[in-house]
Amino acid sequence: MRMDQIQPPVENYANPKACFFHVLFKAAALAFYILSALFISNFVIIFVVTVFLAALDFWVVKNVSGRILVGLRWWNEINELGESVWKFESLNQESLARINKKDSWLFWWTLYLTAVVWIFLGIFSLVRLQADYVLVVAVCLSLSIANIVGFTKCRKDAKKQIQQFATQTVASRLSSTIQSAFSVV
Amino acid sequence: MSNSLSDTIPLHPSSQSDIDEIENLIHNSIQTGPATVLPARSPSPPRASIPVSSSPFIQSNLPPPPLNSQSNYQKPPLPAATVPAVTAPPPPPLGADSRQNIAASGFGSASNTLTEPVWDTVKRDLSRIVSNLKLVVFPNPYREDPGKALRDWDLWGPFFFVIFLGLTLSWSASVKKSEVFAVAFALLAAGAVILTLNVLLLGGHIIFFQSLSLLGYCLFPLDVGALICMLKDNVIVKLIIVCVTLAWSSWAAYPFMSTAVNPRRKALALYPVFLMYVSVGFLIIAID
Repeated sequence: MRMDQIQPPVENYANPKACFFHVLFKAAALAFYILSALFISNFVIIFVVTVFLAALDFWVVKNVSGRILVGLRWWNEINELGESVWKFESLNQESLARINKKDSWLFWWTLYLTAVVWIFLGIFSLVRLQADYVLVVAVCLSLSIANIVGFTKCRKDAKKQIQQFATQTVASRLSSTIQSAFSVV
Repeated sequence: MSNSLSDTIPLHPSSQSDIDEIENLIHNSIQTGPATVLPARSPSPPRASIPVSSSPFIQSNLPPPPLNSQSNYQKPPLPAATVPAVTAPPPPPLGADSRQNIAASGFGSASNTLTEPVWDTVKRDLSRIVSNLKLVVFPNPYREDPGKALRDWDLWGPFFFVIFLGLTLSWSASVKKSEVFAVAFALLAAGAVILTLNVLLLGGHIIFFQSLSLLGYCLFPLDVGALICMLKDNVIVKLIIVCVTLAWSSWAAYPFMSTAVNPRRKALALYPVFLMYVSVGFLIIAID
């Protein structure tokens, strides 16, 4: 029954719409920022539109494409004692195994690449001593980095859970084998 | 090793057999507790009020010991399902439910936030913004307990309010619109961070993001004031409106900030907050 549920190995993206939106807002923010300096002289518009696109991208990556493309999710909660707790959630083992490789490759690479591009743009603005533009870049960069850190931690946490579980499984199987051996004797 | 999975598994080859064992355990064991197989679970029902949102089976990085102490501190107003797997009554029925859910529908379970439709996420976030706003800015029974006040903090509300205030100020300004916007945004953002650091350095107990979120939501009255001032250009009216909204903002921020620090240092924590709101008020009045 399990074999029927497994998709055949796919050449293409399994979730093209999610991939598209994942890349769309990042590219739009970067493109608008770079091109606007040539065409628009009003800084306020540049700031608001770029930061708004970057914020939309943050939301889309955190809530939609993270879930769909790599099956990970992270958020922060405050517990009863008033302490801040970072929660990580990932799909179960079987679903994680079914994640399309191309999807996850795209997800991680665009995530890192955007941050690198923003860093370069920030360096340009710094060199030109344009404090306004440094502000824009700082906001967009911090949003990108927040997502990178969140998802990387989430992935490590998921891997740890898998390993822990695997170890526990082996240990419990071992103990139950020993127990059954003794009960037979 | 199954070759149909080999192209898509990012896992080590030896864990393939573990996957089979994991599946068996999913279907067989129900009472083994939260330390074993934890398929994704939705963290909370849609939040209309201030519940602490956690469900028994989230794969979280919480170590077990704090969970035990949590059960002692459980307060009556909060729903009983918040303490993960320590209090005896709630988990078993929920556990059975979630196991059946996952076993039955696996990837497509509708109660998971990992697989919920996008529209649900949007609605959840929007309702959280509205509820946070109501909690912080308007009178409500939870105000006196600041720990509960912004349990579900989020930064979207503050983001919109800061941008709105910047835009309103920029619109009202007849010259140097860009500078006004940049200054307003930088002042508010940096101000919130510095105020939070101030409380932390005074030895107060707040959480960084919760405080940022609170200070952002408290800008809502000033937003309203700035909007009215933009429409009505009379200086006397502006003065009155700014005073009223300033008092409202300070009143909104007061409980949270004052209870976060030692009582002898209350004024030290509150004064900078008040100062920041006064400076924003001046910006609103002075722009013409």
